Amino acid sequence: MHVSGKHVILSLVLFVFGYLVAVSYEQAQNLLEDEEVSVEEWDRAFYYRQQLIDFEERNHALEQQINDLRVELLQTETSLSEEQQNLMSAVDLKRELQAYVGELAIEGPGVFITLNDQDYVPDRANVNDYIVHDRHVQLVINELLSAGAEAIEINGQRLLHNSHVFCVGPVITVDGTTYPAPFTIEAIGNPDTLLQSLELDQGVIDQLVNERIEVEYGEKHVEMTPQ
Amino acid sequence: MWLMIIFLGLGIGLGLLSDFSIPALYSNYLSLAILAAFDTLLGGIRAHFEHVFNQFIFVTGFFFNITLAIFLTFIGAQLGVDLYLAAVFAFGWRLFQNIAIIRRRILDRWQQQKTLKKKSQSTLSIEKSKLIDK
Repeated sequence: MHVSGKHVILSLVLFVFGYLVAVSYEQAQNLLEDEEVSVEEWDRAFYYRQQLIDFEERNHALEQQINDLRVELLQTETSLSEEQQNLMSAVDLKRELQAYVGELAIEGPGVFITLNDQDYVPDRANVNDYIVHDRHVQLVINELLSAGAEAIEINGQRLLHNSHVFCVGPVITVDGTTYPAPFTIEAIGNPDTLLQSLELDQGVIDQLVNERIEVEYGEKHVEMTPQ
Repeated sequence: MWLMIIFLGLGIGLGLLSDFSIPALYSNYLSLAILAAFDTLLGGIRAHFEHVFNQFIFVTGFFFNITLAIFLTFIGAQLGVDLYLAAVFAFGWRLFQNIAIIRRRILDRWQQQKTLKKKSQSTLSIEKSKLIDK
């Protein structure tokens, strides 16, 4: 068999043709496979996407739960702080009340007033008219209280709401404790107000001086010890 | 003849073995190139039957048709017009025409052979009868 140019050319053409057909065939097969795989993958993608959606929904729910809990926590904290504030105010109130009833040491600006028996007593006169009586002390105390004194003590004895002051001969009894003259009454409050009310015309000081009692008074930083 | 078959097999084998994937975007070009090649091949066969086969025309036609088809597709893709459909249509039409002509030629040849056989048989029988007569 002889090989002519015609045959060679035909062979070449057939070679190219065969190559093209084969490549196209392979391509088509690949496309088919791709499509099959893509269907499967679509299913899988759908499944995973569904899972993702589920997860996101759950996350959302959990986040909402977290938010709810946070709000609850905030409320609890607020109520706690309110309680604490109440407690603090209660403690403050208790302190104040304790200060009023003399259970705590207190100090502050105030006044003092010292009442003393007259040294000079004329021979014919009644000694009674020259010494300090309980009513003098009560007068001073009443005046001080009405002038707004917050705390009063006599010779270091706190005067409370149920205190009583009375005269036993030359001494004065304050809540059962006797004190001799002189009597120093100290009060905590606005010093100006207290002094002015004491110094009023025909006021306490004038009356005391008229009744021949030695009076000494002035401003003072008062410190009181608990009883 | 054997050379042609060997080369065809070689081309197919190479195409199958080579891991040469064309992007889906260019699959149009490949299909049209195949169509053009197929058309040219059939045209060659037809020319052969009509005894007007010219190898020069055949080879140039083969490559020119493929190139033209690809070029048309390219232009169509650039313009956004499906010009490759025109090529597909033309090639398809020519394909059917060629196949029809080839079929007719083959049938003609077959019938010719048949009549020839009959003639020869009849002549033989006549001779035989003559012989018997003698």
